Amino acid sequence: MRKITDNSEYPGYLLKCQEELLLDSGKIISDFQVAYQTYGKLNGNKDNAILICHALTGDQFPAEESPITKKKGWWDLMVGPNRPIDTNKYFVICSNVLGGCVGTTGPNDINPKTNKIYGPDFPTITIRDMVRVQKILIDELGISKLLSVIGGSMGAMQVLQWAATYPESLKSIISIAGSLKHSAQNIAFDEAGRQSIMLDPNWDNGRYPEKNKKPENGLSVARMIAHITYLSEKAFQNKFGRNLQEKKDLSFGFGIDFQVESYLRYQGKSFVDRFDANSYLYMTRAMDYFDVSSEIQNNKNKIIQNGIRFLVLSFTSDWLFPTKESKEIVSLLNSVGSNVSFAEVVSDRGHDSFLLDEPQFFKVCDGFLKGIK
Amino acid sequence: MRSDYKIILDLIPENSKVLDIGCSDGELISLLENKNISAQGVELNQEKVISCLEKGLDVIHGDINVMVEDFPYNQFDYCILTQTIQAVQKPDVLLNTLKKIGKNIIVGFNNSARLSKVLSFLVSGSFDSLLKKSDSDQWYNTDYIHPCSIKDFKKLALDLDLRIINTFNVNNQKKFLNGKIPSNLFCREVLFHIAND
Repeated sequence: MRKITDNSEYPGYLLKCQEELLLDSGKIISDFQVAYQTYGKLNGNKDNAILICHALTGDQFPAEESPITKKKGWWDLMVGPNRPIDTNKYFVICSNVLGGCVGTTGPNDINPKTNKIYGPDFPTITIRDMVRVQKILIDELGISKLLSVIGGSMGAMQVLQWAATYPESLKSIISIAGSLKHSAQNIAFDEAGRQSIMLDPNWDNGRYPEKNKKPENGLSVARMIAHITYLSEKAFQNKFGRNLQEKKDLSFGFGIDFQVESYLRYQGKSFVDRFDANSYLYMTRAMDYFDVSSEIQNNKNKIIQNGIRFLVLSFTSDWLFPTKESKEIVSLLNSVGSNVSFAEVVSDRGHDSFLLDEPQFFKVCDGFLKGIK
Repeated sequence: MRSDYKIILDLIPENSKVLDIGCSDGELISLLENKNISAQGVELNQEKVISCLEKGLDVIHGDINVMVEDFPYNQFDYCILTQTIQAVQKPDVLLNTLKKIGKNIIVGFNNSARLSKVLSFLVSGSFDSLLKKSDSDQWYNTDYIHPCSIKDFKKLALDLDLRIINTFNVNNQKKFLNGKIPSNLFCREVLFHIAND
């Protein structure tokens, strides 16, 4: 049984599903819920819907004020009235991913079978599992064909997965700063982050939620490592250089001397307030396992028959998901004969460019969406 | 419509797959799509890429000198290179790549050895007349780095084992068969149709 209700914890809605969901791991989740938010209005033909897929630490609130941070939504520059994803024109849906920590079923929810918090008993999930759950949501909203599915980073993985698994359910996708598969370097960074969390004594084999503690230090260091990968050498240099933090001389100790240290520690600290360590483990693992190449090849006939239009975007200074990896997406899509476009946007702000004010990037997305018929 | 586009539209059969290299704002791609020919473009200028996208056309943003390497082999029926080859860093390398990704290649360019050009070079003593694409171009900053004549291109095609099927004098739409070419002295713009077999 499926039922949509208002979300009592956050703005937006909850889709509650009393059913079993078979995961890629072979395990089953019984009873799950999806927290989502919508912007704009669904038209009578139900053909103006755009699904936005969030990145690792995103949530279902890309536009307007975020109820979590009380700041503008993470993609406020992209989504809203008269923005490239124009909510005056499009019906925009964004849901928290499976395994997340902002309302959709994840490791810190109650396992209905044991009535205890899942913790480390939560099954390992994949990007395809996340997309399966999104498809159930789209079905429940009565939308048979999405105008577009759009996302950056881990969002781009979901976007490509959508095209590979449900080609009949969408007209176009925009993959931003993504890849066909997680690179060895990216798996390495994920593992460093996970080790940092799991070596924090407060992690307690993942049982911390029931013991009312949090592996804050571990999660914070994981975020610091990851945050470095989201910027670029030049972004760090421009922002901080070797400037000292509220002092004139070096301290000859291990406190905060440099501004960049203060910045990183702040990034780590503020992250633990809004994100859960177990979710972080599960979601980074989902990214590690991602490799959509063969599924795209196997489903190429459906992709072509449905005339899906692909836009692949990358940023010049992104070294986490470099242009080379976006070009690999383009090459594969070209080799299966699909309708693909590609653009590389000049920016020196690294992987995070897709969340920042990059006018040229917005123009490309805007142009592509205008051309979707 | 540009005269060379008219020849190209007559040349390419319906349902073909085409790659237009240096597609600018997608004018030729649109014309091809209208004729039920599936076409994709490659373009370096991002503003032009955006105009293609707005028209609903498929376009790959990038430098043709390197980007073409990323295309899978035997993917296209026709690769088109109009008013571009003289700006390519290594025309021979590009043509060798196009040979692998397309069954046919169409190359169109302005003949740099036509009498008016040669005379103006003789009179002025300046290479500007041969190298200029627009008025702001000078010999040292021009994109036109490989001026070539009809004879030059025919020789390159021979060297690269490219079989010329037809050659067109774009200005009067006259077609030349069996390896014959328009006058190297008098033809202003030429179009070669090459087949790979």
